[in-house]
Amino acid sequence: MMSLIGRGTIVIALRDLQRFWKYRWWLAGLISMNLTDLFIFALIFNNIVNRSYIPDYFRFIAPGIAAIAIFASAFSIGREVGVEVRRQYTQYLLTLPITRLQLAAGRIIGGSVRGLIYQIPFIALLFIIEGVPPSWKIPYLLATSVLLTIAMSGLSITISTAVRSFDLQATMRSFTYFLLFFFSNVFYPDKLIREYLPYPLYQLMVNNPVSLAAGVYRWVFTDNLFVDIDPQLSIIKIAVISVVITLIGGKLYLRNLTS
Amino acid sequence: MMTIATVYRPTSGDIYVFGRSVTTHGDEVRRYIGIAFQEPKALWVDKVHELLMWHARVVGYSKQRAREVVKDVMETLGIWEYRNKMISELSGGNKKKVELAKVFIQRPKLAIFDEPTAQLDVVTKHMVWNMIKELRKAGSTIIVATNDMSEAEQLSDRIAIIYKGRLKAVGTPEYLKDTIPGGDIIEVMFEGSISTPLLETLSRELQARKINKDTNVIKIYVNKGEEKLAKAIDIFTRNNIKIRKILMKEPTLDDVFFYYTGATLEATQ
Repeated sequence: MMSLIGRGTIVIALRDLQRFWKYRWWLAGLISMNLTDLFIFALIFNNIVNRSYIPDYFRFIAPGIAAIAIFASAFSIGREVGVEVRRQYTQYLLTLPITRLQLAAGRIIGGSVRGLIYQIPFIALLFIIEGVPPSWKIPYLLATSVLLTIAMSGLSITISTAVRSFDLQATMRSFTYFLLFFFSNVFYPDKLIREYLPYPLYQLMVNNPVSLAAGVYRWVFTDNLFVDIDPQLSIIKIAVISVVITLIGGKLYLRNLTS
Repeated sequence: MMTIATVYRPTSGDIYVFGRSVTTHGDEVRRYIGIAFQEPKALWVDKVHELLMWHARVVGYSKQRAREVVKDVMETLGIWEYRNKMISELSGGNKKKVELAKVFIQRPKLAIFDEPTAQLDVVTKHMVWNMIKELRKAGSTIIVATNDMSEAEQLSDRIAIIYKGRLKAVGTPEYLKDTIPGGDIIEVMFEGSISTPLLETLSRELQARKINKDTNVIKIYVNKGEEKLAKAIDIFTRNNIKIRKILMKEPTLDDVFFYYTGATLEATQ
């Protein structure tokens, strides 16, 4: 464990955070865009959707957008890893006096922290809209955010190193992004998905890590107004997904970079 | 070199760095090595000073010590004035210096340089050579990959000639020169063309060990060249081949390369 969270892991993660800071204006633009999305969706859909399904669309979608934000930001590390592979910068990283495990862990931790930082304005917005949740729910909020960012960083890094072709990488990353984005319960409640889609597809959608996280956020901020979930079970599911993706991702990252 | 640096795994066999296998003890091997790549490895958003500071920190310097060493190396290489520039704003030569700076900052036990002076001006080239020699004096083992034979001669105790992925010869510069059969080279620049029978005549009458022929230059590897020079002129004259220039010389490392690889300019063209 010590070698995993060693000096090497910290310097690699810090480098990713420094780079994240370099893109701060771009990020500010992205956050504004996501927030605008939130308001536009809420404004349009609030008067379209059936109130029996969603009593208040703005309050429904805001936690979902927070999940999307964390997912989108953590996912951005994959794009950078892709650029590094393409420009052969990874060759330099591979020669540094740190273990491979520290390198992979550093990238995943760096990506995860970036996701958490990016999520702050969205969580702050939820605090403003819904008020501060009870303190015993805060650990659920934090655990969900941390696990989701780890899973998404691992996933995007895996995709970026799984294939050599940059075009194919970008296509796969976009495909996964849209799959996780739209095949989730961020925009539609579970009940509606269950009514209109075949059961296997419904299962896939509600067990998508973004959906699980959105469910927990909704529960943290709005109790059972929109969801009827077991938050502990949801967090366990995200944890399992996170561990599996991280292990596979880390292994593939190292195998593909050195093969 | 990428395999020594543990970037790629060997497809077969193994490499040992200070007794440690790159396959099974890569983590340990990386503690000993530092590499300056042929193409500078940096992202366009990196600023020169922060890139080198990060490198110094990752190779183990304290923050204070890193500041001192980085400044020192950057000043020596003449890139301190560009410290706040982004890598993408630098000229090719300065990018190369940044790449070299990584190894001079690190001072590893095994320093690997891939084409260290490509893109550098003459003054900087000699300065980099001196820095590499200094590193060697301080106890580092140096591996240099180069196409420049004068660079190989300047920097190397041992030279390995690799051509088209195959090891052709290895030894000290003196040893490699001595192993060229014939010892002397008669180099003739001529006008016109040389026929195969004439080549055979030259080979037979001069008792040449080897002949390399390019479009208008021929190199004849012989023993006791001074005795055969006159005979060579005679053969050319008899065959109505106009000699533009003829000289006899000891082999250079370029000659060693041509000899061991069998490469000719004609074949390359």
